[in-house]
Amino acid sequence: MEVSTVLQSLISGLTLGCIYAALGLGLFVVYGVTRVLNLAQGEFVMLGGMLTVSFCSMGVPLIGAILLAVFVTVLSGAFLYLFIIRPARGASGSTLAFLTVGFAFAIEGITLLVWGWEYRSLTNFLGSSSIHLWGATIFGQAPWVVGMTVLMVVGLFFFFGRTMVGKALRACADEPLGARSVGISIERMALLSFVMAAGLGAIAGATITPLTMTAYNVGIPLTIKGLLAAFLGGLHRAEGVILGGLLVGLAEALSAGLMPTGYHDAIALAILLAVFLARPRGLLPSRGAAE
Amino acid sequence: MKRTRGRTIALVLCLALVALAALPGCSSGGDSDTYKIGFIASQTGPYTALGLPAIDGARLVVDQINAAGGVNGKMLELVLYDDKGTATDTALAAQKLIEVDRVPTVACITATGLSHGMVPTLNENKTPGLIMSGTGLIDASLGAWAFKPTSSEKDYIPLPLGYLKDDLGVSTCAGMIENSGYGEGGEHYLDLVAPTMGITVVQKQHFDPAATDMTPQLANIKASGAEAIFIWGSGPAGALAVKQAREMGIMLPIVTTPAQASSSYMESFKQFYEMEPSLVSIDSKLTMWQQLPASDPDRALCQQFDEAFVARYNRHPAMWEAIGAQFIMFIADGLDRANPDLSDIVKARGQLRDAYEQTANLSLFMGTHTMSPTDHYGRIVHKEVLVTYQDGRKVLVKTMTD
Repeated sequence: MEVSTVLQSLISGLTLGCIYAALGLGLFVVYGVTRVLNLAQGEFVMLGGMLTVSFCSMGVPLIGAILLAVFVTVLSGAFLYLFIIRPARGASGSTLAFLTVGFAFAIEGITLLVWGWEYRSLTNFLGSSSIHLWGATIFGQAPWVVGMTVLMVVGLFFFFGRTMVGKALRACADEPLGARSVGISIERMALLSFVMAAGLGAIAGATITPLTMTAYNVGIPLTIKGLLAAFLGGLHRAEGVILGGLLVGLAEALSAGLMPTGYHDAIALAILLAVFLARPRGLLPSRGAAE
Repeated sequence: MKRTRGRTIALVLCLALVALAALPGCSSGGDSDTYKIGFIASQTGPYTALGLPAIDGARLVVDQINAAGGVNGKMLELVLYDDKGTATDTALAAQKLIEVDRVPTVACITATGLSHGMVPTLNENKTPGLIMSGTGLIDASLGAWAFKPTSSEKDYIPLPLGYLKDDLGVSTCAGMIENSGYGEGGEHYLDLVAPTMGITVVQKQHFDPAATDMTPQLANIKASGAEAIFIWGSGPAGALAVKQAREMGIMLPIVTTPAQASSSYMESFKQFYEMEPSLVSIDSKLTMWQQLPASDPDRALCQQFDEAFVARYNRHPAMWEAIGAQFIMFIADGLDRANPDLSDIVKARGQLRDAYEQTANLSLFMGTHTMSPTDHYGRIVHKEVLVTYQDGRKVLVKTMTD
């Protein structure tokens, strides 16, 4: 077993893990506040990428393109909450999750109509080039992806822990009745959570596109990976989701690099299944609050 | 009271809409003025890169034939269904075309693995049909009713292997195999044919069609000492693998299958495709006919189709447009000879099946076919070419006859 192969697999695993963690965090933000599993999270990521590519090709500089892409995606997130989730707010959790699936398919279909089936790419941010290290390669965009996830994590911790709005959001999750009784508008917080998830998803989408390409149908597989990360780590804690994402990414990459070829996927899934069976409530213990 | 009445009206309206939507599918089958051609392709799902171009190619040929008076005085009509990239929807579409639309024939253009599911459906329902499968592994099991007027990798794999051996002096290679029906076929024939041509397959790695990071597999290939890489797949990961290989500093000759030669990937990955040694892809003559010598027997056919396609769709056709087109060409040829009796659909299907089996020396884009009772693939002339990439264009490297 070559050192360079192990190292390459670790690099790949870390990068993939950050992508999945970012997906999982988007799911966490919505679930944490509203108890709705937003299965359209991957579509926000896809839209972020596709829109950024489009705006760039119209001549908008990258920063502006990303901001515009985030703006449009945020509008779609608001639409999802205001016109689909909120009118159905009496429905069960699974019904609401199915509604988000419907929304995801609708976004996919519209994207196919507007953009076509072709895959699109972006150049690495600031034209970063690959770094070669001990026989392995770190792609130019990989540090941006890792950095984006780190910033997202730090930002979310600060937001939920230190700001009034963040605390209000957590209150809605922990104790909706209590939150309402102190004057927090649950509906407004729910809208905010969808808007945040959409915005974070879009930023993630723009950042991963130079690495992975984007197309109308990349949303659903991304959502599934995010779900895997979130369930493995435990949807009740952000730290768990991040850990779950890293675990999925590493399992995928290490089995691709080190296990007998042809069995990669089976082995990766077996590892994840074993983890899940060992800790069905998530990797990290819950903090004691009712789930 | 008011609420339930409103809901009832809404329910009735919805049911009415569904009924209206279903109507076009409910034809009596007794329409003897047109030949209905069932056409199943991916309009949604992971294989739209194959399906949407195929539909465009098919439509062009249908319109051309109809403009020239149709076949036996009857117009051709495409009855199009979306296979959504799943085997279930492919089978359902076929069932619907056969039982509800009562078409005399069905064409299925989708990913290799999915189209294999059509074979039992066609045979059980005694309906002659065409399947698009890229692998020779299916050729012997087509049965009495399925036909495959397209390519089998077993016939064109000597082309890139010969290029590696004779033109580049390579004697070891690695396979990057997609986890799919097409990849499985490629792996099978690579293992079978490479040794006979003096090339040893020293390493094989597998990847998912939608994979976004293949660096672990590429690292293994790099460590194996292989002198060249074969990327065998039809999904986007194959094109991404070329980019990632070059970014990892792997500068070995790389050969890919036709999917990676699509113009969309060429545009997105131009920089990596053209890096020395530039990528070599298996492709069809249609995409670079201008570089064929005037004496090439297929130049005129390709030129005609290319120009007509550009005039209508404002883009150049590539392999999948050609496959869609040639399926219609094959069907039209069969209809012409069979002149099936449409008032009896069972009889018509039998007549058409016989005519398909008697196809002889039919020159299509990917090859020339002569079918027989024992060979429903029947390709006797193979027309693949090898191309490489330079300054945003494809450049002819080698043909099957060089």
